[in-house]
Amino acid sequence: MKVTYNWIKEFLPITATPEDVAKKLTNAGMEVEEIVYQNQHLHDVVVGKILKIEKHPQADKLVVCQVDIGEKIVQILTAATNVFEGAIVPVSLPGADLVNGVKIQPTKMRGVESYGMFCSGCELGIDENYYEGAGVDGILILPNDMKVGMPIDKALMLDDVVFDVNITPNRADCMSVVGIAREVSAIYGIEMKKINLNYTIDVYDKDTVRDYVNVEVDTENCLRYMMAVIKDLKIERSPIWMRARLNAVGIKPINTMVDITNYVLIEMGQPLHAFDQQLIEGKKIIVRQAKQGESIEALNHNSYQLDPNTMVIANEQYPMVIAGVIGGTNSCISDTTKICALESAVFDLKSIRVTSRKIGVRTDSSARYEKGVNVANATLGLNRALHLVSKIGCGKIVRGLIDNCKVQNDYRDITVSLSLINDILGVKIPDNDAIRILQNLSIEVKRLGDKLYLKIPPYREDLENDYDIAEEIIRIYGYDVYDNINHNLFENSKVTEGQHHPRLLLERKFRNALIERGFYENISYSLVNPSSVDKLMLKDIRANVIKIANPITEDISCMRTSLAHSLLTNIAYNESVGNKELAIFECGRIYLTEELPLIKLPYEKDMIALAVNKENFDFFNMKGIIENLLSKTSVKYQLVRSKEPYLHPGISADIICDDRVIGSFGKLHPLVAKNYDLPTTIYYGEIDTAMLLKYSTKKYNATAISKYPIVERDLAVVVDEDVLAGDLLNSIKSSCGALFYDVNLFDIYRNENIGKNKKSMTFKIKLSSLNKTLTDEEVNKVIQKVLKTLNYKYEAVLR
Amino acid sequence: MIIDELEKIKENILKELADVKDIKSINEIKVRVFGKNGVITNLSKGMRDISPEERPKIGALINEARVLLTDAIEKKEKVLEDEVLALKLATEKVDITQPGKDVKLGALHPINDVIDKLTDICVNMGFSVVEGPEIEYDYYNFEAMNIPKNHPSRDMQDTFFITEDILLRSQTSAVQAREMESRKPPFKIVCPGKTYRNDSDATHSPIFNQMEGLVVDENVSMADLKSMLTILMKRLFGEDTAIRFRPSFFPFTEPSIEVDVSCPNCHGKGCSTCKGSGMLELLGAGIVNPKVLEMSGIDSKKYKGFAFGFGLDRTAMILDGISDIRNLYKNDIRFLDQFK
Repeated sequence: MKVTYNWIKEFLPITATPEDVAKKLTNAGMEVEEIVYQNQHLHDVVVGKILKIEKHPQADKLVVCQVDIGEKIVQILTAATNVFEGAIVPVSLPGADLVNGVKIQPTKMRGVESYGMFCSGCELGIDENYYEGAGVDGILILPNDMKVGMPIDKALMLDDVVFDVNITPNRADCMSVVGIAREVSAIYGIEMKKINLNYTIDVYDKDTVRDYVNVEVDTENCLRYMMAVIKDLKIERSPIWMRARLNAVGIKPINTMVDITNYVLIEMGQPLHAFDQQLIEGKKIIVRQAKQGESIEALNHNSYQLDPNTMVIANEQYPMVIAGVIGGTNSCISDTTKICALESAVFDLKSIRVTSRKIGVRTDSSARYEKGVNVANATLGLNRALHLVSKIGCGKIVRGLIDNCKVQNDYRDITVSLSLINDILGVKIPDNDAIRILQNLSIEVKRLGDKLYLKIPPYREDLENDYDIAEEIIRIYGYDVYDNINHNLFENSKVTEGQHHPRLLLERKFRNALIERGFYENISYSLVNPSSVDKLMLKDIRANVIKIANPITEDISCMRTSLAHSLLTNIAYNESVGNKELAIFECGRIYLTEELPLIKLPYEKDMIALAVNKENFDFFNMKGIIENLLSKTSVKYQLVRSKEPYLHPGISADIICDDRVIGSFGKLHPLVAKNYDLPTTIYYGEIDTAMLLKYSTKKYNATAISKYPIVERDLAVVVDEDVLAGDLLNSIKSSCGALFYDVNLFDIYRNENIGKNKKSMTFKIKLSSLNKTLTDEEVNKVIQKVLKTLNYKYEAVLR
Repeated sequence: MIIDELEKIKENILKELADVKDIKSINEIKVRVFGKNGVITNLSKGMRDISPEERPKIGALINEARVLLTDAIEKKEKVLEDEVLALKLATEKVDITQPGKDVKLGALHPINDVIDKLTDICVNMGFSVVEGPEIEYDYYNFEAMNIPKNHPSRDMQDTFFITEDILLRSQTSAVQAREMESRKPPFKIVCPGKTYRNDSDATHSPIFNQMEGLVVDENVSMADLKSMLTILMKRLFGEDTAIRFRPSFFPFTEPSIEVDVSCPNCHGKGCSTCKGSGMLELLGAGIVNPKVLEMSGIDSKKYKGFAFGFGLDRTAMILDGISDIRNLYKNDIRFLDQFK
């Protein structure tokens, strides 16, 4: 929120520089995000008086003015038509650097010298709301009594310094000038001045508030409702000092009564609402929940349908205000209002928050109410408003206040321990410093040994226990005590054993292996477009996409149910920017649920997925990679033809383990490739890493290796096309018996000479014995047996 | 006579050797000297005709000549072989700038690289790495973190909701309550993972990664927090890294602090990475609010805790000099290839 330095000074005799105040506030937890000097573009601009105006000898549209700027008389040329002899005007002199970027220096126009420029309101950064005449098309004409030669920032009260302070949600009490002044007071140890709440009433006037309005509170959500009445209103432009403050914090000055409510809002943090008393039907105010079907036209000229969750301020007939959020047009004050009923209320923060969210309206009032306005603040705010009415003289305050208060809010007693506070902080703050800091925060302190008995002011609802008090002490004492402490890590704690997460470790193994193979790791949004289900032709549980209720865009509106969508999208993106020939992978989650809408948390499945877009890459390359990954675990698995809808049915496999599919891989289904605008040569694979984790503890059990050399034989056989390589390999293995060492399919050959629907497969068979060097005879015997079995079982013939 | 002959042979052969230019000629010489009809061989054969008295002397001389010539031939042979090898080495040359042939390495994603580094450091300090659900109950994400429904603190984060009670976790802090419910103090955990907020621009991604840390023990303090985070940041950014505390507010910690880290790019002097301040705002931390401990069934009279959380995307960006957060999720190989 924005506050000004002069405004703070009204409550605190402080002399530090604005920069020092800003730095100390920030260090104490009230982050000052910006300091703006209002007059940063007003230097070298002064009040001047035009003494004489003559025509420019060479130019019809220009006049030559002699201007008194206090210390001297200068000549200034202007094309403005609203100037006259005797006019008091702002004069920018050489060196001036105006808000619109214009820099002033002496110039010559058609042979006549000009020593500066007259300024319009716009060139000074102000408008008609702020200053009369600032909005006219031409030069700002200032009042006649303004002192010639005076710097313009002083003359127009634009010499304040504005702080923009970021108030954390726990410090609603600081959403006001007074609140921030209290912080500054505590930081510097300077006592606050008493806030002037005095106002005068006409003792001869017998009228009382109840003659004008009555209040009934019919809802639990209104904690306090106060009302005062001001009659004989003078609705006019408020005084410059008030406009100056409002203008500085970015609020548009309107008229006396509206300005007073805004002034008190900023100054005391108390939202007020001014009703035109004559527009209150039945002269009765009822604070209640809205009825179904009621509506209201609000001051922002929108109409809102109300329901019983919304609290309203109504008269006997209809709602006049959406409580705490925005007023209605049916009862607001106007230029013709004669009597004002002024509300100062406190509402339940949740109620206001819900309403503000629901109707999508956020105002300065609702912003304060939803963070929590203290019940005691209503009196302070109302009295301050009446003081301002009295001071400005814009109306007659009617005797008496209405105060309908449900909740008492007074000083609270809490007890804290100095030693616990020091234990929490881990540094020793001298007791006296701690106590002094609390006292500066307006907390009454009584010490008895280690215990501090504290009286907490009502506006500090956030302070409840030792931890809260520890924070108060350290933030004012200064966190820089930690800059140079020498503290051994966990010197007073028990040793704990650190453990990596086993699944993450497995993932790390896989990741490193894939990177060695040239794969790039991706991290994609786990939020996807719901169309991903159709694009992947998913039909099972993965068609149940979990949707976000408040998505940013359709493209990231639901939780992904397959990593395939992410990786295929990434491949397509890379293709589109010319990154071809690539292999990528991602470790990420998919989110699965049996039923929608969700009533319990879904199943979050951790997967590793791979996708390859390369020439000369086929199913068996993919299979090799998958097999290598799986060989890093002790998993026993089988491959069966895959049922994945997005994979090519003939060129894909599911990895089966304990009768469950724990992964699959293969060539992309041509329709899916088309859906992603991809070539049909994409290969994709995925493995459920959580399932695999069960088998990740690999135990090695070393067997003896033979002293004798391995013997190799190559064997080429011709079989029918539909004979499976896996079957031949198994058969060879078992035929070799105890002498088997290894077998490798290293060539497949198809040719007319071999026959139609035939293929030749060449195996390298390795045999070994633990006890001796194998003789040719022994080897041939084994190979004959292999061949005989292959022939018998698969009609394989030697090529 | 035989002695003269011997001298002559020695002289001639040595002379001849001196002029020899290739191995082939040497082989010829070898044959001529030591071959079946070689001059030395023949002289040896001729020993039979020498008188027994002279035999030892002549034999010794022949032998001496044999050794001398063998030596000379071998030396010459070595010289010639060296020459041949040198010539071969001089002519056999590859273009070392021609690209290598092995499979090109891929690369780890910069965020996971940071996660690996951080979790390694934390495990060494006694932390265990845990995971938690990304789709979470409102209770764990907010209420158990001392952020009741409709509380102003909820405004600090724009949350994605799925139902009224189920949401996408907006902070890894959601894991704190789950771990506190299931573990017995003392314990130390860190939890890296995805988090979600309804926020998207050049510096905010709706999906980003955080790491949460939590320590619960009888005697931990802000001083431990300071020591722990100092070590963590030094290991990550380098030994000359310093950290600084600033007051802040989080509903689940009290006191709450922001932790600034000295800019690893300029070491505190001020640069574009740290926008001239020399420090980077990187972590939120604090002493666990006793209300949070109590809500999760931990006796706040006996135990204290500290917690910290930070954005891994931002950490990776600082560590690797990445300027646009959106690049982290675009998965453009041209980007990823830079992190081998």
